[in-house]
Amino acid sequence: MPKLLIVDDETDILEFAANFFRKRKVEVFTAPNGEQAVSMAHSHKPNLVLMDIGMSGIDGIETLKRMKEMDCNTKVIMVTGREPQEDASFNKCMELGAMGYIHKPLELDELEKVVLKELMKI
Amino acid sequence: MRMGLGRSVDYKKELEKAAKTMILVHEPDALIKMIVRMLVQKVRITHAGILLHDKARDTYILTVSKGAAGFKIPAGFARIDSDNPLVRFFKEGPDKKYFSEGVIIYGEAKKTAVSKGAEPRLRELAAKVAYQMEIYEAVACIPTYFRDELLGILLLGGKKSGGPFSRDELSFFMALASDVAMGIRNAQLFRELELELDKRKRLFINTTVALAAAIDAKDHYTHGHTARVTNLSLEIAQRLKNRNKYAINDKAMEDLQIASLLHDIGKIGIPESILNKEGSLNEEEHKKMREHPILGVTIIQAIKELEDAVMGVKYHHERFDGLGYPEGLKGENIPLIAAIISVADSYDAMTTDRPYRPAMQKDAALAEIKRLSGLQFNPRIVEIMAELSREDRL
Repeated sequence: MPKLLIVDDETDILEFAANFFRKRKVEVFTAPNGEQAVSMAHSHKPNLVLMDIGMSGIDGIETLKRMKEMDCNTKVIMVTGREPQEDASFNKCMELGAMGYIHKPLELDELEKVVLKELMKI
Repeated sequence: MRMGLGRSVDYKKELEKAAKTMILVHEPDALIKMIVRMLVQKVRITHAGILLHDKARDTYILTVSKGAAGFKIPAGFARIDSDNPLVRFFKEGPDKKYFSEGVIIYGEAKKTAVSKGAEPRLRELAAKVAYQMEIYEAVACIPTYFRDELLGILLLGGKKSGGPFSRDELSFFMALASDVAMGIRNAQLFRELELELDKRKRLFINTTVALAAAIDAKDHYTHGHTARVTNLSLEIAQRLKNRNKYAINDKAMEDLQIASLLHDIGKIGIPESILNKEGSLNEEEHKKMREHPILGVTIIQAIKELEDAVMGVKYHHERFDGLGYPEGLKGENIPLIAAIISVADSYDAMTTDRPYRPAMQKDAALAEIKRLSGLQFNPRIVEIMAELSREDRL
């Protein structure tokens, strides 16, 4: 089963997204903050990480940086609540090697397509 | 009666309850939350949510969702765009042959998708609609229209007891959906009305400011006087309110702003030879000058909306000890807004050059105000002036 790590500091989102992908035959891990996300990325080696940018504590950008330092092949899709064109942090994510972004509110069918397509590649 | 078991719910009663609450709720969000909660609790469905039209972005955002953990979609997390099959389906109007109640039931969508009798285009759309419903795990989708505009879509999960929705239940959902539409529409109208009122209020204030400028222009020595008195008066009032929130309400605050802008409007009726005279006024000129509060009243009393502001114009030369004019009111009998303007007006007059004397220093002016506390001025307001001075806000 493909492995997906979801990182978000909002419990509601974590629960919903985890449930959503588990029903689609994905093994899901969840992390409520950047620190746990880094250690889970290390221990579970997920095929894909889906991560919120605007988290309290270590934000998505810093977490992305640490994941990439640990393993530069980690694939990460960022989720942002802001409009990407207005968002300098979005460019920063792309520089750090994120493979894409989705911005909230998002289309669930799009989320499904983007994530499953990536997980099918393995 | 056991509540919540399908038919045993008295839908008519629930609807009436919803309608009653709606009158009280100006915030559509609160209304929608209530309706979604009611669906989950009374009809006992696994989850319910509503996609609401965001006009600015022409997209439908999942605003409220309720249900068990993992089902509940966090508010603001998901959206569907206006080209989404669900939106297209409702905008085109459901084909009554396949969707009898004007709602989409998942089973019917699936059936239509493979129905030999249906047009290929409808089959294709029905298949796409069914897929969207799978994504949201919705068993029924109910549109909410206002006139021809699709305002939102209610997404409903299945019944906890299993089994299809009854006709009663479907018409209950439709009625709720139209309540939602009406609630949203009411709230929109209410907001527009507030904006309109705001605009008118601004227009009114600006007109008043223009009038006040006309007074200042006539009196060469008081350039900017009106604006300064208004600012100081409002500052004093705000501090009175901070000390005691009942001291002055929002309406009185607005009256004070208008009254301080117009406090000298009566000077329009005073000859410029008196207003701009160098040296002191003779008795007759003095008498004329003292008419300006009443002249001011004559000018603005025709405007009914200014009824209370008139008090500020009329009594801003009254004294706390009763020796002022025009009526010789005493102490707290002097309307508060007039007492505030009196202090602000005097302080500004003292600290600016006049035809007959140069400006006083701020400290000296404040000392004079303090000396006249309880004589000319209301001690409560003098206290505020002292506070403002200590904070270097004068």
